Amino acid sequence: MILSDAYLWLSYSHVGTGKINRLLDRMPIERLWDSFDDEGKYALDEPTFGKLKRTRNADFIERAKNYLRLNGIEYVTRADPAYPELVDQREVDPPPVLYYKGDIGLVRTDCIAVVGTRQATPYGRYAVDRIVTELAKSFTIVSGMATGIDGFAHEAALKAGGKTIAVLGSGLFEPSPASHLKLFDTISKHGLVLSEYTPEAHATPYTFPERNRIISGLSRGVLVVEAKAKSGSLITVKCALEQGRDVFAVPGDIDSPRSLGTNSLLRQGAAAVADADDIFGFYGIKRKKIAQNAPVELDFNETAVLNIIEAGESTFDAIAMASGLNTPDLCAAVSSLVLKGLVRERAKNVYCSARQTSGAAKGDL
Amino acid sequence: MLSRINSYALNGLSGYGVTVEVDIHRGLPSVEVVGLPDTAVKESRERVRSAIANSGYCFSPNRITVNLAPAHTKKGGSTFDLAIALGILCATEQIGTDENKTPLDAVSDYIFLGELSLSGEVRRINGVMPILISAQKSGKKIVIPLANANEAKYIRGAEVYAVSTLRDAVALVNGEGGAPIEKSDITLGGDIPFGEDLKYVKGQLLAKRALEIAAAGGHNILMIGPPGGGKTMLAKCIPSILPDMTEQEALETTKIHSVAGILDESVGIVASRPFRSPHHTTSRVALTGGGANAHPGEISFAHNGVLFLDELPEYPRSVLEILRQPLEDGVVSVSRASRTVEYPASFMLVASMNPCPCGYHGSAAHECTCTPAQIQKYASRISGPLLDRIDVQINVDEVQYSELTDGSVGESSSAVKARVDAARAVQTERYKNTPVHCNAKMPSAMIKKYCKLDGAGEKILAAAFDKLGMSARAYSRILKVARTIADLDGSADIAARHVSEAVMYRALDKETR
Repeated sequence: MILSDAYLWLSYSHVGTGKINRLLDRMPIERLWDSFDDEGKYALDEPTFGKLKRTRNADFIERAKNYLRLNGIEYVTRADPAYPELVDQREVDPPPVLYYKGDIGLVRTDCIAVVGTRQATPYGRYAVDRIVTELAKSFTIVSGMATGIDGFAHEAALKAGGKTIAVLGSGLFEPSPASHLKLFDTISKHGLVLSEYTPEAHATPYTFPERNRIISGLSRGVLVVEAKAKSGSLITVKCALEQGRDVFAVPGDIDSPRSLGTNSLLRQGAAAVADADDIFGFYGIKRKKIAQNAPVELDFNETAVLNIIEAGESTFDAIAMASGLNTPDLCAAVSSLVLKGLVRERAKNVYCSARQTSGAAKGDL
Repeated sequence: MLSRINSYALNGLSGYGVTVEVDIHRGLPSVEVVGLPDTAVKESRERVRSAIANSGYCFSPNRITVNLAPAHTKKGGSTFDLAIALGILCATEQIGTDENKTPLDAVSDYIFLGELSLSGEVRRINGVMPILISAQKSGKKIVIPLANANEAKYIRGAEVYAVSTLRDAVALVNGEGGAPIEKSDITLGGDIPFGEDLKYVKGQLLAKRALEIAAAGGHNILMIGPPGGGKTMLAKCIPSILPDMTEQEALETTKIHSVAGILDESVGIVASRPFRSPHHTTSRVALTGGGANAHPGEISFAHNGVLFLDELPEYPRSVLEILRQPLEDGVVSVSRASRTVEYPASFMLVASMNPCPCGYHGSAAHECTCTPAQIQKYASRISGPLLDRIDVQINVDEVQYSELTDGSVGESSSAVKARVDAARAVQTERYKNTPVHCNAKMPSAMIKKYCKLDGAGEKILAAAFDKLGMSARAYSRILKVARTIADLDGSADIAARHVSEAVMYRALDKETR
């Protein structure tokens, strides 16, 4: 018996990963396979024994392998050297097999998980774009391919030409949500989609929190962009802490329900992140100073409007009042500032500054 | 004895002559109407019988046959009552003859239109204006109900008499009638329906500016915002800033309103741009026109004016999709088994919608409670091709309390209208000798010709596509709107600032980020 086939047996038996790992603690995998009939009956409870016995069949495993190969799904087992080291730790509760599509080499790169609420606000979207675009230049972005922040993180990483890993809460044949099918295809071509579940497994309410441990497991740190007070992202954070990963959070408005979770993480000591530089700094990664962008040329109106907006976010009407400009001029100025990337529309007709925090502004403490 | 009376019927917006022939011969007393009459026409015999009796004439106790020629077209409505009554009176030689019973020719000089009441009064009918326009070529004198007299004032080519009773009509035939209706000029502009004025709209500077641009270029406009943002009020201001109608436009619109019977008879003409806001339960037929008689619908009532669709996603998709062809062509062709009619439907589409089912997505003041799937589903109720035909799309957010209470008065509609008029004048000059009359209707060849960008403008547009993730279909829309902004600015070329302003009005293309 090849070891990897034995792991495949465990995966296809659909016995919970926790139970399998507890079993493997007591009994090495070779012994479990070889003397299953003799010892298994005494070492295992009845349903688990039944499940394992049903699939303990060399033919069955051979068929499963053929099936995977025909459908273009690859897999690594704990016996393979390609199995990600970071996941192969007791704290992570490593699954016997990881099924994947794409470039498995990515699991050996430096990864950062970017997670957050499915009901992202425009602020969350902006934060993801702003941070991940830079972050993806040095890190592989890991997330869960859910709607909201997860999806934005994958998209931003792909758009920035970076690498990204999606860890699914379902089998690879049943990626969810359906609205992200296209994203699924793109990631499987340009990145890596990963699942601990056999390909035909459906998503269930408990598979999503379960896979969160792999998201954090793969990564050096977890960045939470937006989270409600009770959020699945906080499960990822819990896993990250158990696994000894770093936790970062993007601060949000004190009264925004979608930032309650992240703000409370900050209160508990997570590192605050406003820019990718904050994470680079945390890991002591020296990045080539990007040549300061040539100073953007602004005309008189634009300068005046920018000064007003930088003094605090402002509605269109309030800017008009403060600047005394007529509407056409103000429209042109605001629009031009948005296109130059100095201002963004935070909500409908509400504008705020979009400048990257420069090193000096952060203050060296 | 046989008599012939002239009348007119309508097919769509054009009239055609109908000869009402009445023959009286011996037999059991009865009245038979032939010539494909509908129920309203058939019932006219009862009205005619009473009207004749109550006007002091004798209804012949013989067999009466009424033929509406040409016999192969369907006739509807109560327009022929007066002609039938006079036909019976002529056939029985009670009128239209001198004392020696020799027939007078006078009756054949007239065209009679009107519905009779049982008392012999002549009541108002629909479609007088288009009938007069078609009938004026015949050179005959036209008799219409007094209630429709105002519609006749503006048709210079026809001699029109207004009668209020059957006896008045008889007097006319006997040469004892009064004078024809005096003509008058069309007073354009005048009162705006709903009487909203931009100066009463607090705040919303961006939205007001967008309305101005939309009005100046004839662009369709979509307002997206939470409930209570003032979208409806803004929409109702649009007629007050649109340029005045031309006489031609006023007559076209009046024709449609006259046919549908929604014309205000005290004025007799639609002198200011119509504002139609059909409810979202409106059926497809009510919107485009149709039915057995292929009558016009709301989009034709809004011809040369504004069609306001409040809460756009609430309309059934099938109803919205039929707007696409009229939006492109400015006419709607209504085909039914019996006839095909083309109604003009060149309107400015003004629509409003919430960004999501709860209404607060992207709002600064409220938290949206919708899931991404709900928002997606809500937005997808409006198809891409329809959105494609809406050049200006803006976000309208709630007005702050402080803005509501401050006493300042904004710019009035008349000031905005002056700028719109100036911009339209520029366009009229540019597009003379072409079928196009405003920027919104430019075909792509013209966009290439008239919407040239300089280097700076190109750069901004490129940045917009890159930064805001705009779609390709936004490109020509932005150019058209930029053209209008330049026209408002009095600038012959499209400058960079015009392009960057135009980018502001693509709310749906740029995702808020």
